[in-house]
Amino acid sequence: MKREDRLPFAVLLVALVIAQFTVRGRFAGERIAPDFLLLALQLYAIRSEPGAGAVAGFLLGLLRDALTPASFGAGALAHTLVGYLTGWGKAVFFAENVIANGAFFFVGTWLRNAVVALASGTLRGDRALHELLVTSPLQGLTTATAGIILLLVFRGWPAVRPGVQ
Amino acid sequence: MALEADRIGSRADTFLFLVCVSLSLVAMALPASWRDPMAGLLRRSVLAPFLVLQEQSTQFQTSRARFIALERQRDSAALAATFLPALRAENERLRGLLGLGERLGSGYVPAEVLHQAEPTSPLTLVIRAGRRQGVRALAPVVSPDGLLGTVDEVEPGTSTVVTWAHPDFRASAMAADGSVYGIVASAGVSGPGGTWLLELRGVPYRQTVAQGTLIVTAGLGGVIPRGIPIGVVLDTAAVASGWERTYLVRPLAQPAGVGHVVVLVIPADADARPAFAPREPVP
Repeated sequence: MKREDRLPFAVLLVALVIAQFTVRGRFAGERIAPDFLLLALQLYAIRSEPGAGAVAGFLLGLLRDALTPASFGAGALAHTLVGYLTGWGKAVFFAENVIANGAFFFVGTWLRNAVVALASGTLRGDRALHELLVTSPLQGLTTATAGIILLLVFRGWPAVRPGVQ
Repeated sequence: MALEADRIGSRADTFLFLVCVSLSLVAMALPASWRDPMAGLLRRSVLAPFLVLQEQSTQFQTSRARFIALERQRDSAALAATFLPALRAENERLRGLLGLGERLGSGYVPAEVLHQAEPTSPLTLVIRAGRRQGVRALAPVVSPDGLLGTVDEVEPGTSTVVTWAHPDFRASAMAADGSVYGIVASAGVSGPGGTWLLELRGVPYRQTVAQGTLIVTAGLGGVIPRGIPIGVVLDTAAVASGWERTYLVRPLAQPAGVGHVVVLVIPADADARPAFAPREPVP
């Protein structure tokens, strides 16, 4: 990333973090509302190397685990996987294609929720199935939609566009 | 577009990834005595400004919703506004909390719930009230509908609540008429329609509990006061070799749906039944 792009990109990430703690609560469905923190992680991981994505994911996951101690460690594991795989996957699959990016956001959200649900061991049976087949895909959809809107709004901004290093 | 193939799976990346995964697994294996202070430290330091931000946003949202509700109630267009389900539900919850507060008189701390995005969010809640407000560990947390859980960790400005859905939650319980006693715990599986249920365990085999019986806290054990509604008996879940029966209980208070709660700081031997007695409908 060019030096002059770093500041705007950092501002965007901070804006997403603030949105998570302010705007997100205004969506009707708490569990299916877009996850702006995960979106910020994936945007960062897309523009970083997989190792940096993994570290960012681990730190973010650990912080989120502090807010949901029922799954302590599971969030860190899930976000580490998402951060690493996003950083790795972008080099393999990524094109400057909004739909491909949306698919990444969708899969990332679903994967995060699936790993948290399964690794924490607190969701079982029908509840886990409901989480994997209904809630998580819906949250993935809303997060992907928010990500696509973000990319479309900032499409003239090189710092946000995937593939533009 | 510059794709750099040499970035895929470099040794440093793989090393960092494995280190992070290992640390995550270590975090998962930590005992509660290590894990809870660590989580508390993060909430008091790095996360504190974000929790304040979320609290202010929640307060703003609530104030705005209440303002809109009151404004619309003043004029004839209020009828249309009350058809908005979310607004009406929020109004009812706040009115319920106000009513509950009036009946309790004193010995309670109101608090906002700071919901999180993870699937396990309903198992533990972070509430915006802590030691400074008089919250103490193991204090029961209720909504106007009934028991939500107990306080687990207390910090100066926030607390963590273990809800009834958490696998570790236990409470001594009884039928509302005091005829049957047992222990209430999370059923661990979903009930019909994907709802989370509770189990009333340890009921003597010779005693049966009719469907629809209200289950309340028994006040035994010196932790949760007597008489807080927990749920309603749905069905028999299991019979253990002729010794005891286990009943499925539908909880009255849903952790995922509450925005505000009340932490009871009354003595554990107090009787909370008057606070939850059926009341006249709000006009």
